[in-house]
Amino acid sequence: MSILDAQHDLSAFRQAIRDWLAEVVPPDWKARMARASNEEYIAFQRWWMAERSKVGLAIPHWPKEYGGAGLSQRHLIAVADEMARADAPQNRLFTISLIHMPGTLLPHGTEAQKRRYLSGVANGEVWCQGFSEPNSGSDLASLRCRAVRDGDHYVINGQKIWSSNSMYADHCLLLTRTDPNAQKHRGITYFIMDMRSPGVEVRPIRQANGRAEFGELFLTDVRIPAENMIGAENDGWRVAQATLASERGVISFEGGERQRYEIEAFYRNSLKVGAAWLKDAQLHREFVSFLAEMQAARRLLRRVLEESETQGASASVLPSIVKLSSTVLRQRICSFMVRISGMDGQAFALLAEEPFGSPMFDFLSAFSGTIAGGTNEIQRNIVAERGLGMPRV
Amino acid sequence: MVTSAIETTSTPDQATLDALRESVANVLTEQCDSTELHAFVDGKNALDKILWAQAGQLGWLGLGIPEQFGGLGMCSQGLVILHGELGRQSAPGPYIATLSAAQTIVETGDEAMRATWLPRLASGEVSAAVPATLDVSGLTRSGAGVSGAMRCLGAADAALLLAPADDAWVVVDLDGAEVAAASMWDRTRDVFDVRLEDATPVGVLPDSAATRAALTRTLALAVAADSAGGARSITERTIAYMKTREQFGRPIAGFQALKHRAADLATKLAVADEMVRHAVQRTVTGEPDADLWASLAKSEVTEACVFITTDCVQLHGGVGFTWDFDPHIFLKRARLNEVLIMANTALRDQAAAALAAITASGRSALELGL
Ligand SMILES: Cc1cc2nc3c(=O)[nH]c(=O)nc-3n(C[C@H](O)[C@H](O)[C@H](O)COP(=O)(O)OP(=O)(O)OC[C@H]3O[C@@H](n4cnc5c(N)ncnc54)[C@H](O)[C@@H]3O)c2cc1C
Repeated sequence: MSILDAQHDLSAFRQAIRDWLAEVVPPDWKARMARASNEEYIAFQRWWMAERSKVGLAIPHWPKEYGGAGLSQRHLIAVADEMARADAPQNRLFTISLIHMPGTLLPHGTEAQKRRYLSGVANGEVWCQGFSEPNSGSDLASLRCRAVRDGDHYVINGQKIWSSNSMYADHCLLLTRTDPNAQKHRGITYFIMDMRSPGVEVRPIRQANGRAEFGELFLTDVRIPAENMIGAENDGWRVAQATLASERGVISFEGGERQRYEIEAFYRNSLKVGAAWLKDAQLHREFVSFLAEMQAARRLLRRVLEESETQGASASVLPSIVKLSSTVLRQRICSFMVRISGMDGQAFALLAEEPFGSPMFDFLSAFSGTIAGGTNEIQRNIVAERGLGMPRV
Repeated sequence: MVTSAIETTSTPDQATLDALRESVANVLTEQCDSTELHAFVDGKNALDKILWAQAGQLGWLGLGIPEQFGGLGMCSQGLVILHGELGRQSAPGPYIATLSAAQTIVETGDEAMRATWLPRLASGEVSAAVPATLDVSGLTRSGAGVSGAMRCLGAADAALLLAPADDAWVVVDLDGAEVAAASMWDRTRDVFDVRLEDATPVGVLPDSAATRAALTRTLALAVAADSAGGARSITERTIAYMKTREQFGRPIAGFQALKHRAADLATKLAVADEMVRHAVQRTVTGEPDADLWASLAKSEVTEACVFITTDCVQLHGGVGFTWDFDPHIFLKRARLNEVLIMANTALRDQAAAALAAITASGRSALELGL
């Protein structure tokens, strides 16, 4: 069966997704994952990708010639919304594979690269992003990881950091410096790196929330075939803009929808059990204010999606505004949950079994929103300078 | 309910307090630096035990205990200095519970209780526990026996527990009691769950209301001082990092947006420190508004500290989100501090009630006493 057969009628399409989710999502998956080892979690993520693949929902947003279904934005919203409603697992392991890689290869890849790599994702190929370096974070364009041409290969030496899921990745979207003498944005070249190449060493980094989801990459004389270059030599910065722009879409949308269901379930449960915080007028007021902000944030996320299909979307600062408002809101909501959970909320627990079941874990994890993908301070610079025309000093 | 704080000892002069701060700071910066602290958090050393033994020898644990019971008789001012310095280094150990229980026994215990426990607490031979939150008690009393389950602040090997059981406040000897250490996000603090079955208290405090007020106030001062110290320290560490971390060809400390953030943190810290000092001073001179200001110091300062430590994570960028840097340790301690004693909303309600009572009695609660 393919859910895609129902795509011509949006409500039938939704219903088909709903039926499939009801059948396939294990009701206890959160409880199981709360106690899972890293290996079990990764195996689970791969299983979920395979299940999505079976019904045509692995890469439904890609063009048909590369194995996708060419679904419209409206269909994608429906998929994300149904996933969130069903509290189905997210495909976190495949974020770069599903968003950043096609966002880069579709506009800038060679035909051979698209054929080789795009369809691989439906078969479970994991990608990571090797952009940041220890000394190049906010100032990404200052990156120093060296690539030197050697016949029909490039030889890579350097270090990358904070690369999410790099421990499990098959391929890496790698930014390197090919011309150290050029102005910093002009000497960058973009590669696809096979993570199994000799000379690639990955060390996981432990996060404040207790998990180790990102890693450090040590690259020593790694040989990458020249055909793995995306775009032209020294034109990597322009290509990288496509990667960064791709983050603005459906992932944050789905996050916003998930938060809606989480918070609704939390409130319903609070009413059911007569939670103590409900009797505190101040907390109650704070809570309803969050809801107003949350609805506005969800509407803004829809605007970003609509806008992304229009000309001139790349000049808009709306994605930055949305990132600022929704990540800070997420942090404040999690902080509220920590406060109302009192001492119980301070007990160590790695993963949430229930929505907001481990508020400290969620609170700490919320920093990934305010730091990753360009910190909120950098987003403010973008809004002020690009959006409001304020001078750079 | 308004009770006045009674200090049983005379107040030390400023020079003595400064000397105390310096000596505590010297020991802690040397023995509880970032490296040792991280090793402790990862279970690789027994820093809490090492520091505790030393604290006993150096007299820190008897700072607030009168000399006749083996202490130094430096009252709240000395205690707040110690807690502030412990907070600065995020030092592990059951200081808040032990010193607050001891102080409460000094103030509202009977002679036998003082003579039995204070010398042993002052030397560090034993530690004490208190309820992690005072507004929910899991203990009940039937006849002489105390039963029930409760989450406690303090080391799982604490010798005694000071807690309410129905409307009495009791001291329970924990020898042989069923205790289980709880694992918290803040690994620098000890919390455990206790289950008592018809345990015979070794003492019942004569005045429950005064005991509750004294413990609330002492804990509030301790937690506020710990938070203020922690917030100041992580702010200093963050600013030091910002001065060395370079992006866009210069130290990130040079960006005006970040300078303003740092200046705002410094402002909040200055305010927080004065809140603690005000509450301590009202306590030392035994004012009727002492409890009010202690409750407010705890609620305001712990929330400021959560704000500050959160910002310090953000100002570090990616490294702030790692386990290996300092900010998360301070943030987790700040979040635990925030919920200790009772929710800040409840403490503010208590403060509001105290304010109303003092004002209705025709007095002012707003004297600075300077
Ligand atoms: C959970 C997580 C996942 C990540 N995943 C990936 C990944 O998969 N691949 C990858 O390549 N990278 C990844 N990153 C890295 C991320 O993009 C960087 O952490 C981020 O860009 C910030 O860089 P930095 O950590 O070097 O901080 P820095 O740039 O050193 O910033 C430190 C502080 O200075 C501020 N600052 C810097 N410049 C300015 C300025 N001009 N004006 C005002 N303030 C400024 C920052 O906002 C921050 O508060 C991830 C990060 C996190 C936290």
